[in-house]
Amino acid sequence: MTSLFFATDIHGSDICWSKFLNAGKFYGADVLILGGDMTGKAVVPFIHQGGKNYQVTLLEQEFYITSDEELQDMIKRVRSRGYYPYLTNPDEIRELDQKPERVSQIFRDEVLKVVQQWMDLADKKLDGSDMKVYCSPGNDDMDEVDEIVRASRRVLLVEGQVTPLDPNHEMIASGWSNRTPWNTEREEDEDQLKVRYEAMISRLKDPRNAVFNIHVPPYKSGLDDAPELDKDLRPVLAGNSMIPVGSKALRAAIEKNQPLLGLHGHIHEGRGAIRIGKTLCINPGSMYEQGTLLGTIVKLGKDKVENYVLTSG
Amino acid sequence: MSNLFVRKATGMVRSWSVFDAFIYAFFSINLVTLGFYSFSQMYYFSGGMIPALIISAAFIIFEVIVYASLIAVMPRSGGDYVWQTRIFGGGIGFILAITGWWFTLWLWTPIYGDMLRQIVLTPLLGAFGLQQAAVWIAGQGTPLFVCSLLTLLFVALVIFLGMKTYARIQKYSFYAGMLGLLIVIVLLFTGSPDQFRAGMEANSAAYFGTQAGVHDATAEAGAAAGASTPLTGGSFLLIMLTLPYLVFFNLWPNWGATLYGEVRGASDYKRNFSGMAWALIATTLLGILFFLGVNRTIGWDFYVQANAAWWNYAWGYTTEVPPLPVWPNPAMLAVFLTNNRLIQIVVLLLMSTWWFGWAGTLFLSSTRVIFAAAFDRLLPESAAELNKNGTPVNAMLYMVLPAILISALYAYNMLGFRTITLAATQGIAIMYFGTAIAAIVLPYTKKELYNASPIAQMKVAGIPLITVAGVIFAGFLGFLLVEWMFDPWLNTGGEGAGLYGISFKNIYSIGFLVLCYAVAATIYYGFKARRRSEGIDMNKVQAEIPVE
Repeated sequence: MTSLFFATDIHGSDICWSKFLNAGKFYGADVLILGGDMTGKAVVPFIHQGGKNYQVTLLEQEFYITSDEELQDMIKRVRSRGYYPYLTNPDEIRELDQKPERVSQIFRDEVLKVVQQWMDLADKKLDGSDMKVYCSPGNDDMDEVDEIVRASRRVLLVEGQVTPLDPNHEMIASGWSNRTPWNTEREEDEDQLKVRYEAMISRLKDPRNAVFNIHVPPYKSGLDDAPELDKDLRPVLAGNSMIPVGSKALRAAIEKNQPLLGLHGHIHEGRGAIRIGKTLCINPGSMYEQGTLLGTIVKLGKDKVENYVLTSG
Repeated sequence: MSNLFVRKATGMVRSWSVFDAFIYAFFSINLVTLGFYSFSQMYYFSGGMIPALIISAAFIIFEVIVYASLIAVMPRSGGDYVWQTRIFGGGIGFILAITGWWFTLWLWTPIYGDMLRQIVLTPLLGAFGLQQAAVWIAGQGTPLFVCSLLTLLFVALVIFLGMKTYARIQKYSFYAGMLGLLIVIVLLFTGSPDQFRAGMEANSAAYFGTQAGVHDATAEAGAAAGASTPLTGGSFLLIMLTLPYLVFFNLWPNWGATLYGEVRGASDYKRNFSGMAWALIATTLLGILFFLGVNRTIGWDFYVQANAAWWNYAWGYTTEVPPLPVWPNPAMLAVFLTNNRLIQIVVLLLMSTWWFGWAGTLFLSSTRVIFAAAFDRLLPESAAELNKNGTPVNAMLYMVLPAILISALYAYNMLGFRTITLAATQGIAIMYFGTAIAAIVLPYTKKELYNASPIAQMKVAGIPLITVAGVIFAGFLGFLLVEWMFDPWLNTGGEGAGLYGISFKNIYSIGFLVLCYAVAATIYYGFKARRRSEGIDMNKVQAEIPVE
């Protein structure tokens, strides 16, 4: 029996990454799988005010830093939410307000710097252990992330691949999603997703015994319920109106092939487990901003899922 | 000057409308359903209703702070169950939340059913000239059971339609209901006592076949039943004693709060707070306006007497049917101020939307907590299954089947179920108490979580606001729980039902609560043991993974 731990959508949170690396030992899992969306969504400027003083606005609250200790504490706090601290000064901030392309470059640099730090940490922490760690970046992760993961000794990039998990189970993986209102890094139309899935499934020895590690959840599974948005990306009816936003192509692939297990993410509030025919589909959800690593432990038997549980670590 | 740079990424949404949040909180502390219903039952108190409304709202503002704060720290996490289990650990959170959000809601079903018939069916049947049907549906036993089943049917329909559709129904219901209430208030402020007396004589005869002199006979029956509650006045103590009953109406501004959306900053926290707080304030002001309108035209004394006459009969203190053989629905009494039947029907239909826009959420939180517990493997996996239409059939059955049994017990008053109405509030208040304690300790036991939240800088005299608000809200809940349990001022001789009817002397009420908690504990420890035998350590599942 293989015991796997799956977490997803940690969006740049240092705490969640550290917890993820420790999860194998903590839960007694043989395999660690990180779903997509590793990278964060915001850069927080630390605006130098002279001397050791910085002004920081985090979550619309003003903080005034007056010492190195406070600076390190605030950097840790910003990183724990998955945001990227950026030490700057008022002149540069004025310049950045005028030049959005410079902001994009800063973002890219900060994102990739942290991914590199994470890979270094994984290589160091898992050195000497036989823990397997698989990763497939998600629709929010820029292409350059792949190169950094690929260079890691301990974290294996599995995007678009068929990966043997044990002698009885193979896994396909993809971080690509169907279209979103944000036009993110890795999204495409349903017919293109269908081709992507079929290309991987056709290489499986036994699709019914496989794991589909697909970032986006299947359509209308309850794992894909997200707040309905208006044209200005504002939740309608105060977020009370939830609509399915998952992939129809994935749902069709699951219904047709009936794999053993589907591992999904993408919709942070879609935490849950559901069966589509014989396939157990799980979205552990995400609370990365709170530094809580949501995940799932799944025990794979020869031809079945022996057991599973959603975790909150 | 920029203080945050964001990039295009999934979920980067803008803030939702405070007004929308207001609507759902406004419907949760529903003046026309919960309000009119509980006010009418409070005929025997000595504290004034207007000061009671104001004081209760002042306490409940702290509940709003507690919930808005918890949402800011752990948004979209599923509410009380998740907050308590994550802050206290599994056992307490499960037992309190499962009882509060699941089992207790079974008891709410016949109460919703009672409101369906009293607020919607009885007046409309009367207005359409179906006298016998109107009087029958208002009666005891089978009619109440039938209306409870109709309520369950409606709730099942809402779950089948989904929240997307129902959220829109609620919004339309808000506008229709507000128009109806506005007309009712205008009628109350433009009519006169003489007009009301004449209107009641004529219309109640037409609606329900009452005898001439129904007004005075009702007043007499009410006075004999002990009608006493004043509109204003009463000592602070006497006013406080009305609150454990009044909160049946207004303890719920947080009902749908966990759905309001992700909180990314202090302004979103304020948005959540504002939605709930304005709903509480607006409802309180409307309640006061309604009372003043009643006092002006219907007459406060008559209003209390009519309620006393009805509930004295409905609660079984007399078998004599009151002169007005139905619940004295204040909206119906207000439309008696006009003799135009079409206007009456239109206003009654508009007022009915308060029930339809509200009742659909009966099992909303229950379904959510059942799902959360199933995902934690503390209920069978099938509890969270969806059918092909996306309907959570099994979770619905977990709610509906016991609710049918409880509705029958309540409708036919078996095992004293009619006496435990307030236990429906008590069960949830105990769970809120757990949440308030969780809020108090959160900044100290989950420091990193708290410090990384949008409320980290909100302090009162250096103490976290969430802790201060939690202490006040927990104190208020503690007062309610002591009053409910010991009913000390009225029950000193050990006689009678007390002010609230659910003291420890009511074995049915205590029995119901104890049974609920025992079942919850059995489920928790039973499943925990089962999972352990399957190799899953439930303590570890909810424990924090070490970072180093």
